[in-house]
Amino acid sequence: MIEASKYHLTKTDIVNEQGLIDAAKKDPKDFAVLYEAYYEQIFRYIYQRLDNKEHAFDATQQVFLKAMDNLHKYEYRGVPFASWLYRIAFSELNNLFRQQKAQRTVNIDSVSVYSIIGELEETKIDLYHDKIVSIISEQLEEDQLQLIEMRFFEKRSFKEMAEILDITENNAKVKTYRVLDILKKSLK
Amino acid sequence: MKKYKTNQTRSKSLPFEEVGGTLKKMKRKTNINRPEIKSEEISKGKNFDSVLKKQGTLTKPLFKKTWFLSSVVIATVAVITAIALLTNNPENDHAVTKPAISINADNSVLAEFYKKEEAKPTINLPLEGVNIPYKIYKVIAEKGASLDFKTGSKMVIPKNAFVDENGKLLKGEVELRYREFHDAVDFFVAGIPMTYDSAGQRYHFESAGMMEMLAFQNDKPVNVAPEKSINIELASNYKGTEYNLYKLDTVKNNWLCLGKDKVVAKAEKTGAAPSLSNQLNRVQETAEYKTIETKKVIVQKEKEVKIASLPKLSPEPKKPEEAKKDKYTFNIDVNPKEYPELAVYKGVLFEVGTENKNFTSSMYDETWEEAIIKDGTKKGENYLLTLKKDAKKYDIVVYPVFEGKNYEKAVNDFKAKFSKYNVALEKRKTDEIKFEEEYQSKLLALQKQQAELELKWKEAEANQFKLMSTDEKVKRMFAVNSFGVYNCDKPSLYPKGVSCLANLTNENDSKLMCYDVFLVDRAKNGLFSYTKNPITQFSFDPKSTNLLWTVDNGVLYWLKPEQFTAIKNSEELSNLKMNRVDQKFKTADEIKQFFNF
Repeated sequence: MIEASKYHLTKTDIVNEQGLIDAAKKDPKDFAVLYEAYYEQIFRYIYQRLDNKEHAFDATQQVFLKAMDNLHKYEYRGVPFASWLYRIAFSELNNLFRQQKAQRTVNIDSVSVYSIIGELEETKIDLYHDKIVSIISEQLEEDQLQLIEMRFFEKRSFKEMAEILDITENNAKVKTYRVLDILKKSLK
Repeated sequence: MKKYKTNQTRSKSLPFEEVGGTLKKMKRKTNINRPEIKSEEISKGKNFDSVLKKQGTLTKPLFKKTWFLSSVVIATVAVITAIALLTNNPENDHAVTKPAISINADNSVLAEFYKKEEAKPTINLPLEGVNIPYKIYKVIAEKGASLDFKTGSKMVIPKNAFVDENGKLLKGEVELRYREFHDAVDFFVAGIPMTYDSAGQRYHFESAGMMEMLAFQNDKPVNVAPEKSINIELASNYKGTEYNLYKLDTVKNNWLCLGKDKVVAKAEKTGAAPSLSNQLNRVQETAEYKTIETKKVIVQKEKEVKIASLPKLSPEPKKPEEAKKDKYTFNIDVNPKEYPELAVYKGVLFEVGTENKNFTSSMYDETWEEAIIKDGTKKGENYLLTLKKDAKKYDIVVYPVFEGKNYEKAVNDFKAKFSKYNVALEKRKTDEIKFEEEYQSKLLALQKQQAELELKWKEAEANQFKLMSTDEKVKRMFAVNSFGVYNCDKPSLYPKGVSCLANLTNENDSKLMCYDVFLVDRAKNGLFSYTKNPITQFSFDPKSTNLLWTVDNGVLYWLKPEQFTAIKNSEELSNLKMNRVDQKFKTADEIKQFFNF
């Protein structure tokens, strides 16, 4: 089972982080602290969407390389630095799939499927498990799948989802519940 | 690991494609319950040195290369300059380039500023010199006290309720400092945090009333004795039972939920809406209403006097009747003053009516000693003739009639008189109608005044009742066993409706250096706070009256309610030009007046 997201930072953490970013802007070597802090998060995000571990390691390196190259463009928006890294990771995955260098993979754990079934207020857990898996992997559109992955497979809060997807928290919530509605209707 | 078969025929296009901002579905592989990769294994993949070495080696498309962009910029500037010089339009001399709005302050300065702001104590006064003052009370510790505050609140302190920091029971005089906070301005100036973190979710308080009480002896803070509690009856403007009781934990910088308070109506019997009859009774007792009532009587009398002063109308002339040959008639002299309607005619006779069943011809043949004529059963139409002789006396109903030429003359006279009478009657009727209309008009105006007064009264009472039912009439009762800030609140989320990324600027379009930003939704008794500028998820209810304020370097800035209409839903950065407040406030009331609270 995947742990709940480690994305959240306190206000002080975010401010401190800003100091680290400023330092890295002046000296790329100082980026090491940020690399260390976020490597695992970004790797897990990428690997969740890939089948091949090596591809995930390569893509993660590429994300940090791009982050370093573009750090001078980074603007402080009051949200964790991670949200910027996630967006680079999203783009990197996009490139991999577009260039057919990796295959889009949906990694589903049964416990998460059960929590989706619970969210749908359904009781026939065993009956619906395979059906839900089938719908998620075959029928959901890519943006719908992302919401389910983030919310249920990666256990992210709506706030975090909003910051990563660069939408409002409310929008993240509404969109996720719309997908759950689709799932519920598909079960009938 | 269980492999899950997917429908291979669904997508033959490129695996992942962004189309117009939405993502296209691609061919997917599905893994069920893939073993989790351990952190140690992930760590093995880390290689920062490799990233560092490769930094700057990423290939960019031609149009993204720095030299390419620089060249394009230089070329463009050159072309524009050349065109400008060639055209040499004098009007261009007046062109002023609007300064670009700088959204990003220097990050290190900002980080330092935020660090300082976050290090401030939980209760932090935002405006220097403005605060909610404490009321000071002296309490004899061994006697206790029952304190009634001007706000309507009450506090009951039992005997021997104070101990010192070592738990030793205190005797003698203890100084109690007490103050209440009831609206957004109170919360703001006192620097009371109005956010509540519960299970990772940040809520904003809507308050039904808040109070702070502290106690000291010889300037040293004292505590409530362990077995004692102080009962509070906090006068509240809100009677809902959805509020909880919280105590501010200044160490954890959060509120501690203590459960529910008890809501008690101050005057339950007056809680019912006033009845219509009661409202009327009350309005009728007002001097204004009574004056109008007097005026109504005066105008009625005016009308009556005017009508009375009209020339008197002579009696309606009666159409003369011709004497019937088979009927008996009497010829009687009548006093013209007593019976003017008869005096107008000459030769009037009195004919015996058919109702006189006892009348006989012998009565007609007899010579009577006395004959008296009086009004009959139908005034002006018949008369009562009394005939007397010795002991005999008869009453006979008679009708005035005429014979022969007298009848003809009487008819002619009647016609002339009736015509005159009709003219006089019409004139009188016209005059009377005129006076009546004048009266009705005046009466209507007065009645209108009264109706307006009743309506005004009714509305005032309805408002009063509304105020009474929502804003008054309750006391929130709870017991406390420590001193500090207590709050009857309900947690709520940011108002919804319009949301944007808000960058607060001053009048010169420069970004405000502020930390706490407060939104006041007048429909809610709370203070919705945001931190840092720009506000990443600023939202408000456009149907409400809203205010936004913040403090930059000790100066208050605010966004007026009418300015909210210009803010639209947007994912982009919206500049909100805040209004600088140069007025120096000394009290919360002055700020309330300024904000039109």
